[in-house]
Amino acid sequence: MTDATVSTPVTATGLVPAPEPASSSRAQNRKARKNAAKGPKRKITWDLVWAQRALLAMAVPLLLYQILFKYVPVYGWAIAFQNFKPARGSSPWPGPRSLWNQQWVGLENFYNLFTGVMGERFIRVVINTIGQSVLTLTVGTLGAIVLALLLNEVKNLPFKRVLQNITYMPHFLSWVIVASMASVALSLPSSGGFINQGLMSLHIIDQPILFLTEPNYFWGIVAGTNLWKELGWNTIIYLAAITAIDPSLYESAEVDGAGRFRKMFSITLPSIRPTIVVLLIINSGWILSTNFELPYFLGNGLVSDRSETIDVFVLRYGYELGNYSLAIVAGIFKTIVAVILVGAANQAAKRLNQETLV
Amino acid sequence: MRTTRTKLSIVVLAAAVLVGLVGCTSADDPEDDSGTLTPSDPTTFTVWITSAQQAPAPDNKITKLLKDKLGVTLKYEIVTPDNEDQKIGVMLAGGEFPDLIGTGDLKQRLLQGGALRRLDDMLAKGDYPNLAEHVKDDIKKMSYSGDEVDKGLYILPNYNRFYGDITGGVYYGPAFWIQKRVLADAGYPDLSNMTLDRYFQLISNYKAKHPKTAGAPTVGFEILASTGREWGMTNPPAQLAGFPNNGGVVVDSNNNASIFADKDIAKNFYKVLNQQYNSGVVDPESFTLTFDQYTAKLATGTVLGMHDQGWNFQTATQSLQSAGKDEYTYVPLMPVYDGVKPWYADRPVMNTNQGFGISVSSKQPKKALKFLDIMLSDEWQKTLSWGIAGEDYQVGADGVFSRTDEQRKNYKDLTWRASNRLDALLDMLPKRNGKFSDGNAYSPDDQPAEFYATLSDYDKDFMAKYGKKTWLDFVNKAPDNPKYYPAWNLTLSDDANQVNQQLTDTSVQKLPGIIAGPPADFDKNWQAYVDSIRKIDVKVYEDAVTAGIKDRLANW
Amino acid sequence: MSSTTVAKPLARRAARGGSRRRKWTTERIIFTTLNTTFLLALAAVMVYPLLNTLAISLNDGMDAVRGGIGIWPRDFSLQNYNVVFNMHTIYQAFFISVLKTVVVVATNLFFTSMLAYALSRTEFIFRRPITVIFVLTMYFDAGLIPNYLLIKDLGMLNTFQAYWVPTIISAFNLIILRTYIKSIPEEIIESARMDGAGEFRTWWQIVMPLCKPALAVVGLFVAVGSWNAWLDTLLYASGNPALTTLQYELQKLLSSSMNAGVNSVAATGAAASGGQVTTPIALRSAITMVAAVPILFVYPFLQKHFVSGLMIGSVKG
Repeated sequence: MTDATVSTPVTATGLVPAPEPASSSRAQNRKARKNAAKGPKRKITWDLVWAQRALLAMAVPLLLYQILFKYVPVYGWAIAFQNFKPARGSSPWPGPRSLWNQQWVGLENFYNLFTGVMGERFIRVVINTIGQSVLTLTVGTLGAIVLALLLNEVKNLPFKRVLQNITYMPHFLSWVIVASMASVALSLPSSGGFINQGLMSLHIIDQPILFLTEPNYFWGIVAGTNLWKELGWNTIIYLAAITAIDPSLYESAEVDGAGRFRKMFSITLPSIRPTIVVLLIINSGWILSTNFELPYFLGNGLVSDRSETIDVFVLRYGYELGNYSLAIVAGIFKTIVAVILVGAANQAAKRLNQETLV
Repeated sequence: MRTTRTKLSIVVLAAAVLVGLVGCTSADDPEDDSGTLTPSDPTTFTVWITSAQQAPAPDNKITKLLKDKLGVTLKYEIVTPDNEDQKIGVMLAGGEFPDLIGTGDLKQRLLQGGALRRLDDMLAKGDYPNLAEHVKDDIKKMSYSGDEVDKGLYILPNYNRFYGDITGGVYYGPAFWIQKRVLADAGYPDLSNMTLDRYFQLISNYKAKHPKTAGAPTVGFEILASTGREWGMTNPPAQLAGFPNNGGVVVDSNNNASIFADKDIAKNFYKVLNQQYNSGVVDPESFTLTFDQYTAKLATGTVLGMHDQGWNFQTATQSLQSAGKDEYTYVPLMPVYDGVKPWYADRPVMNTNQGFGISVSSKQPKKALKFLDIMLSDEWQKTLSWGIAGEDYQVGADGVFSRTDEQRKNYKDLTWRASNRLDALLDMLPKRNGKFSDGNAYSPDDQPAEFYATLSDYDKDFMAKYGKKTWLDFVNKAPDNPKYYPAWNLTLSDDANQVNQQLTDTSVQKLPGIIAGPPADFDKNWQAYVDSIRKIDVKVYEDAVTAGIKDRLANW
Repeated sequence: MSSTTVAKPLARRAARGGSRRRKWTTERIIFTTLNTTFLLALAAVMVYPLLNTLAISLNDGMDAVRGGIGIWPRDFSLQNYNVVFNMHTIYQAFFISVLKTVVVVATNLFFTSMLAYALSRTEFIFRRPITVIFVLTMYFDAGLIPNYLLIKDLGMLNTFQAYWVPTIISAFNLIILRTYIKSIPEEIIESARMDGAGEFRTWWQIVMPLCKPALAVVGLFVAVGSWNAWLDTLLYASGNPALTTLQYELQKLLSSSMNAGVNSVAATGAAASGGQVTTPIALRSAITMVAAVPILFVYPFLQKHFVSGLMIGSVKG
C-alpha cells in the first residue's frame, strides 16, 4: 500500500461491503439476488421439505402461534359492519354469540366516515396525519442517522456511553409531560417560554411569537417535539448496525488516504443502509398511525385545522362517544393503506436493489 | 446438537407447565339468606368499583371492623374512571361478573349488556328497610334509563339522595370568578345585580392600577379552551341569559331544547370578550394554555378573573392558601344580562348514572343487597364518612361532631386514608347526603363548624365585610330544578352525540379566532362561525334532547 | 483485492493494539472540538426534561403548581416520594414488573432470534410467505375485545401467563434481527455447516453470539416495552392483586391524584376535593421518576455488547 493507491477511488470494489455492488455488476447481482429470494427455480418437493425440516421446526410453531394470537381475533372486525353495542358474553365460541347477535348495517359505518360533514373532516384529518408523520419520520430518521454517525466519531468510550445514555432519556417521559414542557417552552417569555426569550435576546425577533396559535407551525412543532423525545432512542438501532461493520474496512480506507467524511459516506452509511431501508419500509406503513398525544395535548382551537389526526378523531368520535364501530372502521382503513404503502415501498426497494422487508 | 435440543425442550416444557397453571374461581354460596351477615357465618363479596380513590391497605381498620362485626370480606377490583370504559367492555364480553358492580358513568352500558339484576322486586320483599326508605320517593327517577332496557331499578345512586338540609360552605359550581384583592381594592362593592360590564370594569380598573403582580404582568381575564375543559369558553352565554346548566342547549318554557352557541345571547358575550381581548384584558395566551399552565397561572396569583367551574381550579386555590396568599383566591360572581335572574348555582342533582348494582352472575344477591342495606344505616354511614368516634372525630356534649387539627391533617393524607378509610367503597355506596337525624352533616367537609374552623383570618374578615358566613352566601339562591333537569346527562343516540361533538369542536375551533380577531372583523367572523354551525345537522341533536326531556317528564 | 484478504491482517492488528494511536491533525482537532461541542449542547437539551421532572418531583407540591421550576427544586421536599412509596401495593408491583420484564425478554430473545435465523436463510422454501404473515401483523389490531376473549378462553385471565404468552414475538424485532443476521458473512455459516453443525446449532452457537449487538437492541426494546406496559394488567390481570405491576399502580395513583375529589365534587356540588398532601403535577413527576429510573439502568448494562468487530473475529477464528 503506497502512495499509488491513494488515487484509487474508495468506492472501488473491496472497500465497500455487499449492499453496494459496483455498477458494472449490478444487473448480474440483482438477478442473483432475485434468484436467491425466490429460491432457485425448483419445485417444492417433499424431499426438499424433509431436508429443511429443522428450519420448518423453527418457524412453523411460531407461525401457528402468530396466527392464533394475531389473526384469529380479527373476527372482531365484524364490529365495523354492525351497530355494535357491548353485550354479555360476546365470545364466539361457547355461550351466546353476542358478537354475531348485533344489528348488521353493511357498509354504513364506512359510508358515514367518508361522506358528508364527517367525510370532509376525515379527509382533513388524514392529510394532517400524513403531514405530521412524514415530517416526523424524515426529521427523525435523518436526525438519528446523523447522531449515530457523530457518536461513532467519538473515540472516548466513557464519554460516548454517557452521551448515548443522556440522549435516550427523554424517551422515558410520558407524552403528557413532554407536551407540557413543549407548551411551556413555546409560550411567552413571562410564562417561561425560553424559545421566545432566546430568539429575542439574539434579536432574531422583536415581538414574542405565540407559536401554538399559528396553524402553519404545528406540523413542525410536532416533528420537533418528537425529535426531542425520540432522537436518542431511534439512534440505538443504527448504533447497533454500525457495530456490524468490519473495522478493517476503515483501516484500509485510511491507508488509502480516505478522510473522515469519505469514510462516513463510503463505509458507514452504505453498511447501515439495509437497516435504514428496512426501517423506512416498516415506517411507511405507520404513516397513518401517529401518536395521538401530541396533537391532543398541544392542539387547540386555533390550530385544529392542522393539528387533528386520525387517532385524535377516533378518540373523540369513537371511544369518547362509545362508538366502537368507528374506531374499527378507521383501523381497517389504516390497515389497508398500510399494506398498500408497505407493499409499494418494498417493491420500490427491490427495484432499487436495496434490502427488502420480504 | 444435543445440548441445544435439551435446552429447547426444557423451555418448551417450562412454558407448558406455566400455561397449565390457571387461577381457580370462587365457589358459590349454598344459602343466600338475606338476613344473615354475622361474624359466625363469614361472607366474601367480590366488588368491582370505578373510582379514583385508592384501594384500602391490608391493615385497614374499617376492613377489620367489617370482618369483626359482619363477617364480611371484600375482594376489590378498583378501576379508575379513565379505564372504566375499556374494562366494562371486556367484562361484558366475558360475561362473568363480580357480586357487586359499581359504575362511574356507564350505567347504560351495563344495562344494555344485561349485567345487572333488577332490585325493585327484591326490595319489595321488605328485608331491606334502609334501602327501601332510600329509594321510596325517587324510584321512578332511579329506575329510568331512557332506553329499551326493561324498566326497573338496577343501580342505587351513590350521591345526592338528600336527607334533611343540604349543608356546606364552599361553592364548586360555575361562575365568573374574581380575585378577592380586586374587590378589596374597589372597597368591597355591592355584588348584587352584577353585569358583565361591571365585572370587566372591576377587573380593568384593578389591572390599570396594578399592571404587575409579584413582578409578572397581571392578567385580567383567562379563558381555558383546552380540549375537554372548554366550558369556560362555551357555557357562559346560557348562564348570562339566566338559564341553568343544561349543557349545550337552553330549554324554553314549553320544554323545547335549542342550542345557543349561534344565538344573540352568545354573540353579545363574545363581542364583549372580543373588546376586552383587544383592550388587553384577556390573556393573549388563553387559547394555547394546557390545563397545567392554566393551573400554574392561577396559582401564581396573576390572574384577576375567569369563568370556570369551581372544582376545576381547586389545586390552584389550595396552592395559594398554603402559601398564605388568600387575597389571590377567588369569589364567585354571577353577572347576567338585563332583566334576568342569575341561575348559576343549581340544586344538587341526584347521580342516577352512578352507583352500585348487583350482577346477574352473583350467587349471593340477597346477601349482597343486605350488605348495601347495612352500610346505609346511620351507624355505618358515620363510620364510613366520619370514622371512629374518639379516634377520627369527637362528639361534643351537645352531640356536635368536631375534629382536631391533627385529625383534619390525617383526613387529607392519602397514606393515612388507605389504612383508615374505605374511600373507594364509599365512593360507590348509596349515601345519606345532607344531615344525619342528630343534626350533624353527612361529611366533615359539610359540617358548618368544620368549614368555619378551616377558614383563614383573611377569609373570615373578607366575609365579615360582606356580612356573609359561607361562600355559598355569595351565589344566587337556586330555584327548584325543572322536573327533567339536567338535560346534559340525557342518554342520546350515537347520531345526536356525534352532532353534539361536532358543535363543541366547531366552538373550540372558531371562538378563539372570533375573540382574538380585530373588532372590525367581529361580525364577519361571527357570520362564518354561524355558517359552519349551519352545516351541522343541529336539529338531530335538538330533537333528541327535546324528546329526552319529554320522556323524562312523562316517566320521572 | 477482496475484503477478506485485506481484513485479516488488519483485524489482527486491531485486535492486538485496540484502536491504534492516531495523529492529532488540524482537521481532527477542529472536527473533534466541533463534534464534542455539538454533542454536549445536544446532551444538555436532552437531559433537561428529566432534570426538570426530577426537580419538580423533589419540590413541595403546592409550590410546584406555580410552575417555573428549572433543574433545581425551589422548595425541597420528599413528600411526593413519600406518597408513592407509601402505597402498600408498590413493592409487590415492583417485583412482578421485574419478573414480567425478565420473562418477556428471555422468551422474546429466544423465539424471535430462532425465527429470525430461519427467515434469514435464503434457501428456506417458506421464507417469503412466513415473513409476509409476520410483517402484516405490524399493521393491524383486532381490537380489545377479541384479544381479551382469546386470553380468557385460553384460561390465562388473572394469571402470570397473560403477561408473556401473548407477546413472545414481535414482527418489528424479528425484522431487525433478521436484517442483522443477514449481514453476517455467509462464509461463517458455511464453515459451520462444513463442521457438521445443524440448523439449531448454527443458530445457537454461531449466529447468536455474533448477534449480540442486535440482541442487545431487541432486548432493550422488549424490556422497555414490557416495563412500561400497563394495559395488559388492566385488561388481563386487574382481578388478581398479586399480579399487579408497577406501571399499573402508578397509573392508578396518577389518575386518582388527578381525579381525586373531582368525581365526588362534581356529583355532590358540596364536598371538599378529596384530600392529599401534594398536587397532581408534583406527584406526576415523582411517579415518572419511579417508573423510569429502574429501566434507565438497562441500557448502560447492555452497552457493553455494542462492540465492533465481533464478526470479523469469528471469520478469523
